[in-house]
Amino acid sequence: MRYVKHYGTWGYILHRLSGLALTGYILIHIYLVSGLHNRPAWQHEMEIFRNPFLMVLEWCLFSVVIYHSLNGARIFIIDYFNGARYQKQLLTAVLVLSFVFFAGMGAIMFL
Amino acid sequence: MIQVKVKVFRSNPEQPQNKPHFDEFMVEADPKDKVLDLLHRIKWEKDGTLAFRRSCAHGICGSCAMKINGANMLACEANLKNFKDPTRITIEPLQSLPIIKDLVVDQTDFFKKYDIVKPYLINRTPPPTRERLQSPQQRQVIDEATWCILCASCTTSCPSNWKNPNFLGPAALLKSYRYNFDSRDEGIAERINVLDTNNGVWRCHTIFNCVEACPKDINITWHISQLKKKLVSREY
Repeated sequence: MRYVKHYGTWGYILHRLSGLALTGYILIHIYLVSGLHNRPAWQHEMEIFRNPFLMVLEWCLFSVVIYHSLNGARIFIIDYFNGARYQKQLLTAVLVLSFVFFAGMGAIMFL
Repeated sequence: MIQVKVKVFRSNPEQPQNKPHFDEFMVEADPKDKVLDLLHRIKWEKDGTLAFRRSCAHGICGSCAMKINGANMLACEANLKNFKDPTRITIEPLQSLPIIKDLVVDQTDFFKKYDIVKPYLINRTPPPTRERLQSPQQRQVIDEATWCILCASCTTSCPSNWKNPNFLGPAALLKSYRYNFDSRDEGIAERINVLDTNNGVWRCHTIFNCVEACPKDINITWHISQLKKKLVSREY
């Protein structure tokens, strides 16, 4: 069904997509970690994750985590406070804060 | 005057050989005209078989709610000059409701959900000799919720409703707020069994399509959030 996507609709779509991405990630994470039974195996796995490509993926994962968490807080404010009156301002705040945290994490990881 | 290319959804389930399609009409219009004026010109001057609902044409009755350029609104309030490109207008019926013909949808399901929330005053105490009084402050609490004209723009714009037809939908929940928060009403115990379920308030995922679609500028999601708070805090 085709319908115009408003600002709030995008907030919802991003929340669902980030939720799916996190579910996929947690399954992969459990699968990878479940095979590591000693310190050398763990350290070997960590070496692999120092690969720059995988570090960029980790950075992207952080952006998904931070958006999903902050938007979760926005939904809480909407449902249990008067947030529904300010949903657009709240979504803007979520996006700006997500970007600030994302950039900050990039600086910590790569500088 | 401008030339407007109007694409109108056509469907007649009684003639299955004619598959649903769009018809295009070129209509001369004033930029200050409403989309309802375009539909009138098409029906009266170009194709009398076009079916659509309308009554008051002044944004009061809610009959002419339809999807115009991808969003629900009242055709009688949709001013051409407010569209990004007023020369191209696409008109479709409200989605998720069965089509009777062209832009006319079957609202039986919509009003069935409206009935379920018991949209009337429930008060078992004996009535006073005159009317049941309400202070201006108590009236203020339900004021916005009384603006609803039952046009179905909100419920048919809600993705939760498209996905789950059993969801009561924004219009019925708004009406539920209107009575549950009325200082004269005592019926929440009778309404709670349909509100506090997966298909009641908890199916609202705060997408805000209903708020954008409402021609009366009612913040429906806010009213649903007040119902959620009432249910969680057990203030009834």
